[in-house]
Amino acid sequence: MSASIRSRLMMLVLVSISVVWGVALVTSYNQAKREIGEWENARLAELAQILALLDQRDLQTLAHARIDVREEEKGGDPGANDEDDDDTLPRDALFQVRDADGRVLAGSPQLVGLHAWDLAVPAQSGAWNISLGGKLWHTFTLRDTLLGHTVRVFEPANTRSDLMSGVARRIARPLVIALPVLALLVWFSIGLSLAPLQTLSRAILRRDINKLEPVDIGRAPTEVRPLVDSINHVLSRLRDSLDRQRAFTADAAHELKTPLAAIKVQAQVALAEEDAALRRAAMERVVRAVDRSARLAEQLLLMARLDEHEKLSTSPLRAATIAKDAILANEQSARQKDMSIVFAGDTRAEIAAEPLLIGILLDNLIDNAIKYGRAGGAIEVAVRREHDRVLLTVRDDGPGVAHEDLAHLTSRFFRAPGNQATGSGLGLSIVARIVEHFDARLRFDAGIGTRGLAVEVSFPFHASAA
Amino acid sequence: MRVLLVEDDDLIGNGIEAGLRQAGFTVDWTRNGRDANLTLTTTAYALVVLDLGLPGMSGMQLLKWLRDAGKDVPVLVLTAKDTIVDRVGGLEAGADDYMGKPFDLTELIARCRALLRRSQGRSVELIRYRDLTVNPAAQTVEVGETRVTLTSREWALLLQLLTNQGMPQSRSRLEESLYGWQEEIESNTIEVHVSNLRKKLGASLIKTVRGVGYVVEKP
Repeated sequence: MSASIRSRLMMLVLVSISVVWGVALVTSYNQAKREIGEWENARLAELAQILALLDQRDLQTLAHARIDVREEEKGGDPGANDEDDDDTLPRDALFQVRDADGRVLAGSPQLVGLHAWDLAVPAQSGAWNISLGGKLWHTFTLRDTLLGHTVRVFEPANTRSDLMSGVARRIARPLVIALPVLALLVWFSIGLSLAPLQTLSRAILRRDINKLEPVDIGRAPTEVRPLVDSINHVLSRLRDSLDRQRAFTADAAHELKTPLAAIKVQAQVALAEEDAALRRAAMERVVRAVDRSARLAEQLLLMARLDEHEKLSTSPLRAATIAKDAILANEQSARQKDMSIVFAGDTRAEIAAEPLLIGILLDNLIDNAIKYGRAGGAIEVAVRREHDRVLLTVRDDGPGVAHEDLAHLTSRFFRAPGNQATGSGLGLSIVARIVEHFDARLRFDAGIGTRGLAVEVSFPFHASAA
Repeated sequence: MRVLLVEDDDLIGNGIEAGLRQAGFTVDWTRNGRDANLTLTTTAYALVVLDLGLPGMSGMQLLKWLRDAGKDVPVLVLTAKDTIVDRVGGLEAGADDYMGKPFDLTELIARCRALLRRSQGRSVELIRYRDLTVNPAAQTVEVGETRVTLTSREWALLLQLLTNQGMPQSRSRLEESLYGWQEEIESNTIEVHVSNLRKKLGASLIKTVRGVGYVVEKP
């Protein structure tokens, strides 16, 4: 099937019209054929009636004359000079009249040659078609009750006449002429109906790539309206996503400036410093600032990747294994603040997730707990099964987070007022995105012994762990 | 010259503090708006270097409070938000100058000097007083054609007196401009520095105002 709507519609419309016309043509032809047949029989009956009234002498004379039953006189009508319905071959009607006793009063001599002279006479009046000398003949038999005569009229069937095909041609000709005209009209009508689609495609083509305003093509037909609406829906979602991207880029650039400023300032201090120990201290701070911007860049990249909405494949994981790895990875920095990290809970509970991302999630939570917890404090990483969910919790006994700030914790670049630790404000928003990615839930609560903060991530329970 | 630095970022704050110290300023560094607010009510600063993105009381709030309280100490604003709108907003809220991060430390110091100069009613960096030529940027003092070497304390004391000509400076005011928070102030140290300065630059330069402190008279 062609890809063009116009060609397809053309095909369908023209084929449908041809089929309907074909059926109409055949029906009309059959109707005409029947009418012609009836009319010919009526003519024969009329002839038979005339013959029934003639006496024997007239009949004898007539038998040797020719009765031409051509339906049209040659050249009778100068206007009717078309060959369609010509009936030009001589067609002589033959007859035989018998009296009441069955004796032949008169008959066309040609009947003898056709071996039809002694043909049995039908018992009733009526029309029959019979075969004489290998040809089809129409016959009509009339039993006349007044004189007791039986008249039989024979007429060769007009098989070679073009009458029928003439009728057919007359019916078909206007249709054949009409078809191309109709095709042309249909072609233009379809073009006209499809115009809104072309307007739409032009409107989309002309669109500025940076401007994602809705497409407006004025009054669109009801069939095109849903298309326009869908396109506008996609455009608006695209615009939202672009706006988010732009906001993110702006925020990211803003955030990256801070460690850059630190690097520059410390480097310039080092350059101007004459005291070797102070210069060294400044250079060490440059290194720290570079580390910080590297971590920030890493987090931004991860954030951008999580925003791409690609669902990562999940596999059943033992939450405790990843939790213990994350604890090991953070032990060093915990020791620097004299903090302890302990694992508690179910070692066999499984979740459906991606190990790297869950590692990053736990790493961020533990890192936060170390950064914002109190020196010498405790951190607890727990895995627990509760009904149909697996809860992953990281608790600390630090200062915690003010109630009014809890809602902003997962906002990008949010940093709670008053904290001294260096951070980008991205950690928890990364956690939130990972949580969203695996259809898990994030909840904040009081930490160890109503102090500090507890971050709880609840995953749907993975069935194979049962 | 005592400068208040308000900056929440450890590494940036530390760098600016070191830079300003190298340039001969006395620096107090606070990490949030509330502390800065408190400090500004009790101590007279020659200049405030203010970061806008502060936890607690924001830099902008602090700036508004400062101007509403009628304090006309020059303020140099630092921020990572560096659009025209941010700059205009900052300047209209009462900032005297505006620098976007990342900034150049030498430029920051030059701008601090310019702000100080303007607040002292000078348009050139060099301070000339009789046969004395003082260059605050290069931290040099010349008597006639001879270069005189000063310690950083002597230097700061001289600058404080020279930039407040005709206005007697009390001992505590001088101490305040000489010592930051972390520094221990020894007793009679101002007297020692003044007597050293008199020895190096001439006895008639600094006059004692009995019961008040010291003054450099207007020429």
